[in-house]
Amino acid sequence: MSVRLGARGVSRAFGAVRANQGVDVEVRAGTVHAVVGENGAGKTTLMRILYGLDQPDSGTVVIGDRPVRLRGAADGIANGIGLVPQELAMIGSLTLLENLVLGAEPRRGVRIDWARARAEAEELASDVGVELPWTAVADTVSISVRQQTEILRALRRGADVLILDEPTAALAPAQVDDLLRLLRELRDAGRTVVFISHKVDEVLAVADEITVMRGGKVITTRRADAVDRAELIELIVGEHVRTTGFVPSAVIGDEVLTVDGDVALSVRAGEIVGVAGIAGSGQDELVERVVGLRPAGGRITLSGKDITALAVDRRRAAGLGYISGERRAEGLSMDASLADNAIAGTHRAIGRRGWLAPSKVRRYAKRVLDSYSVRYGRLTAAARTLSGGNQQRVVIGRELDRAPALLVAAGPTRGVDVLGMAYIHDQLRALRDNGSGVLLVSEQLDELLELSDRIVVLHGGRVAGELPGGPESRTAVGALMLGRKAS
Amino acid sequence: MSVFQGSNPGKYSRALTRVVRAAVPFVIALGLGGIVLLATGHNPLAFYQLLVREAFGGVDRIAATLSAATPLLFTGLATAIAFRAGVFNVGVEGGFVFGGLIAATVALQAGLLAGMVAGALAGVLVSALPGWLKARWNVDEVVTTLMVNFVVAGVTGWLVTTFLQAKGVANSATALIPQGSWLPDLLPPYGLTAGVLVALALVVLYAVWIKHSVLGYELRQTGLNPRFSAAQGIRVGRVIMVSMLISGAIAGLGGAVHALGVVHRFVDGFSPGYGFTGIAVALLGRNSAVGVALGAVLFGALASAGTTAQLFSDIPLDIVDVLSGTVMIFAVVRLWRQR
Repeated sequence: MSVRLGARGVSRAFGAVRANQGVDVEVRAGTVHAVVGENGAGKTTLMRILYGLDQPDSGTVVIGDRPVRLRGAADGIANGIGLVPQELAMIGSLTLLENLVLGAEPRRGVRIDWARARAEAEELASDVGVELPWTAVADTVSISVRQQTEILRALRRGADVLILDEPTAALAPAQVDDLLRLLRELRDAGRTVVFISHKVDEVLAVADEITVMRGGKVITTRRADAVDRAELIELIVGEHVRTTGFVPSAVIGDEVLTVDGDVALSVRAGEIVGVAGIAGSGQDELVERVVGLRPAGGRITLSGKDITALAVDRRRAAGLGYISGERRAEGLSMDASLADNAIAGTHRAIGRRGWLAPSKVRRYAKRVLDSYSVRYGRLTAAARTLSGGNQQRVVIGRELDRAPALLVAAGPTRGVDVLGMAYIHDQLRALRDNGSGVLLVSEQLDELLELSDRIVVLHGGRVAGELPGGPESRTAVGALMLGRKAS
Repeated sequence: MSVFQGSNPGKYSRALTRVVRAAVPFVIALGLGGIVLLATGHNPLAFYQLLVREAFGGVDRIAATLSAATPLLFTGLATAIAFRAGVFNVGVEGGFVFGGLIAATVALQAGLLAGMVAGALAGVLVSALPGWLKARWNVDEVVTTLMVNFVVAGVTGWLVTTFLQAKGVANSATALIPQGSWLPDLLPPYGLTAGVLVALALVVLYAVWIKHSVLGYELRQTGLNPRFSAAQGIRVGRVIMVSMLISGAIAGLGGAVHALGVVHRFVDGFSPGYGFTGIAVALLGRNSAVGVALGAVLFGALASAGTTAQLFSDIPLDIVDVLSGTVMIFAVVRLWRQR
């Protein structure tokens, strides 16, 4: 048996969108196989089909060299396939052990045999060389630990093929290293790993074979040692990508933002200040305090003016812009029209005597969307009809068009592909070069290092340290993120 | 997805789709009602013909239908405005009843206009507390507005048997309002008052206001996504409060129109659940101005046709209630994934 899992001529369309077109993939047993591509390349659709969650319109899934029909996730599990989804599906109020055995609890009579569950858990963990706090409640542990639990959960159900969908998206660098080590461990133990990512470096570090997808099609499958970084990026994007690299600010002016309290920091005009930290280190609280969505303890000033007691609308009027880290929940109103999304926060300025002239609204929205190259059909279409990258451009356009004195950018490129990311980075730099301050919060260390003039590292809700931007700070920032002293 | 999703039909075909979809609950109701009629040995088609004739066959019948639709225009609109802001206000019944009592009492002393204004203010009073609790403390409005209905029913019932009871009247009712303070009839001798014009004017105003005013914009955004709205600087609590006050004012005005136009006094049992039928009207009309107008006329037609249809057939009035009830049920069911 050479091909453990694969697809032959798989096509799948959702309405007019052809998510997969004649996809051929062969994942050989005992390898780490990476599937890479931009957002919307069709990776997740393919994985759902391979796992049985979705069925192809034509073509077939191949398991162990035989074509099979998977009718649901249960069929996937029965064939030894496990899926670790991007959004981990754990019950936050249960312990890791309870989550591990959920749905397949070892029993003694009618009762759950917790002693046996614990023993099974320990054995699974030691097999793959991890240690987990089994009695900790899921909500209280890091994403990394939850992810490992999810992997063990799939193994416990008998999976010898593991599909991981963008597993590193929310991890700190050291945690990424741990995960990649775990994946190699699994492979060396004879298991097969399918690893979906759009991060080239991780893929090259861990994969044996790499399948590149673009626009619903497989572009090529290569051995990982037969392709280099630049070549892989070009294969993914389909064209040459110009990356700017680290360019520090030329002119830095006066402070535009100061924050007191547990997290004290300042941002000056013409400066991008990055905020690093593993998820849940106090970034959300900081952002919400600055934007005005959370009552603040300490004093906050914007361009020298005390804004601590001001509501969101007053802060925006005083020169604040906000790119939310949660585009679907907070950055956009998915069911509202593009026009309504584009004028949000500026609508009072557009209105005259309490009325919004339709022509004025249209003109304003069209200008914003056009100048930030949003691809859209009608201004009356709901925001959810756009692709993720285009949605983010709507947010970027809405906030940058107002030329804010201070922009709070939380995860501005989350879920955005390589080209979109380069575009957004250029826009943020341009804003800075025009003399605005940017508070950049991101879970992607690469982004922080490349954009920030200074990086403030948070740990446990406090400032752990401050470092200059640029690629040289990588190790030091990574250490501070995990609460270690920068060496 | 990098491809523009979904098809892009023309403006008119999209409007047509909306109309067809809104009509489906009614069609299903007719179908189910037909089965009930067949099962009880009646001819559904003949009965439906009779209903249509009794609802729209002639000036007198149209006047009766519009008259029955008038309170529903008010309550449907009041409900729709709150729904649009994401507030599930089920207290329109209370505003309607309290508005009716206050309007009937004030009009006795101070005339028609003062009665109308007082009715609207009474409605505002009823919705203010639940609105404030929701806006300030995020107290569930379904619970508070439902409770307020009971409080209003109790208070009005008590007032109308004590201080406000008319002398020499045995049942619980206020004194008859002098004819000079009644809402004028539009088409004498049919009982259609100028109230329907007030209602339709409000519907038109709502259509323009919700779409093109700053406050209407904030109200729609708050209803669609309060978190998004707050992050862009819309004061969500204030918007919720305003939507509740307007909702209450319209409900109270509806009560005033009913008291000053139709009943000419306030009696215990003043509203046969107009506020609750208003919820069905708003849901059926998807909170849009046109939808509310059509929904109110539909339920008005069922009510007016139902009462006279039984004069001309041996079919019991209850079948009309079955029809209304089925429309209400299917109005709430989401028959399509809304995208």
